[in-house]
Amino acid sequence: MSNSNREELQAFSKIVKATQGADFGPALQSSLSRRRFFIAGGATISFGALLAACGGSTNTGIARLGEAPTKTELDDAPVTDIALLRTATSLEHNAIFVYETVAAAGLLSGDAATLAARFLSDHKAHAEATASLTEKLGGKAYNEPNPRLQSIYIEPALRLITGDDASGIPVTDDPVADVLALAYALETIAGSTYQVYVPMLADSALRAAAIGIGEQEARHAAVIGSLLNPSRLVSSFGLSIAAEYQEQTDVPAAAYAVPSTFGTKAPVPVVLGAANESGIRTSLNLETPSLNSMVYEYLDGE
Amino acid sequence: MTASKIISVSPVRPTPADTVLLASAQATALAMRDLYQAAVGAGAGGEHVACLVSLAAHHDAYAQTISSLIGRAAPQARDSEIFSANEADFGSDTMAAALAAHALENSLVAAHTEVIGMLEGTEGAALIASMVIIEARHVVALAAIAGKSPIDDTDLFLVTPEAAQADAQTTTTVA
Repeated sequence: MSNSNREELQAFSKIVKATQGADFGPALQSSLSRRRFFIAGGATISFGALLAACGGSTNTGIARLGEAPTKTELDDAPVTDIALLRTATSLEHNAIFVYETVAAAGLLSGDAATLAARFLSDHKAHAEATASLTEKLGGKAYNEPNPRLQSIYIEPALRLITGDDASGIPVTDDPVADVLALAYALETIAGSTYQVYVPMLADSALRAAAIGIGEQEARHAAVIGSLLNPSRLVSSFGLSIAAEYQEQTDVPAAAYAVPSTFGTKAPVPVVLGAANESGIRTSLNLETPSLNSMVYEYLDGE
Repeated sequence: MTASKIISVSPVRPTPADTVLLASAQATALAMRDLYQAAVGAGAGGEHVACLVSLAAHHDAYAQTISSLIGRAAPQARDSEIFSANEADFGSDTMAAALAAHALENSLVAAHTEVIGMLEGTEGAALIASMVIIEARHVVALAAIAGKSPIDDTDLFLVTPEAAQADAQTTTTVA
């Protein structure tokens, strides 16, 4: 103990003796706590000095059982214009897969089937356009559905609609409504993806090309929205307009031709499939491709 | 799993050239807002009057957001040429107003697509992109309000006409 600490302790003892019987409450507790703090602080500094004295070697000297796995370096995956275009092409092939599967299963008929055929044709044209742009930049076009989006969104969604005996998933009660709901979500996400890519693309000419395709995906979604919700084409949620023009509900509809003021990057929820024993149907949230869903060039070698 | 990194050498904030383009876009947005308001004021809309009011609010929001991006360079006034050239079509006849708005929104989609190819700053490009996505949806809603069928009049819903694209090139050249 240092001289100053000893003097402080002696002064403190005199005060305690002089005030025996008095209730100082929090003030005394605060003083004691402060003192304990200084003592603990001194111990910490001493232990720190001891540790520092043990330093100077790369070997930590800490005992360990077994062998630690070698650190695996992550692949370097720059988000280039080529990677963005390849991902866009893959997303078009996801849409193509959905419309072709729905057509093959005969899930749509009449006007809905006619529109679906038109959308399928548009997506094939978009896929060709993005593939061509990829090759013009010196890249290799990716002409397959995006594998991650296929496994986390497309295949589960289609299983909910068509049913899957192996998984015990029954066929949905209303396949037409479910296909339209899935198509609405998918087209909305496709439009959002191109919107998101605009500031990510380095070449400004490619930005215009991307949004030129994205606005067509948005039109697809809007047409489906106008069929699903013909009485209210433009959502009023979030708008500062007179109450007489607001929707008389607190819950937005599942689909609108125009759902928002600006194109959003938000997930698009879609409810699909037959209800379970509690009357609840499955809800999926479709999102724009994340960095781990992109079709990087290095993936070609895997 | 990858170590992804986004590569972009573009400026973020609008450049002086961007500011001119965005100022023009704001004046156009204000003209669109005023045209929709004129139609509603004249009695157009019918069962879809709330939609026309909402479309006016959308364009007002575009003007405000552009203003927040370019600050004092924003004109804060409508493009009087666009307004006066189209005012007569935005009267009480819902179908006529909807079709006139449909043509203008199609032109905006084409013009803003061109503008995105000209903007250098990514903030401006991202904002206009988020507008284009919804303007394209406006086109579809207006075709439906005009009583058109996506089956019988498919291209009215899904295609940006050549005339709109030609208008866009003129507009962006002027801007």
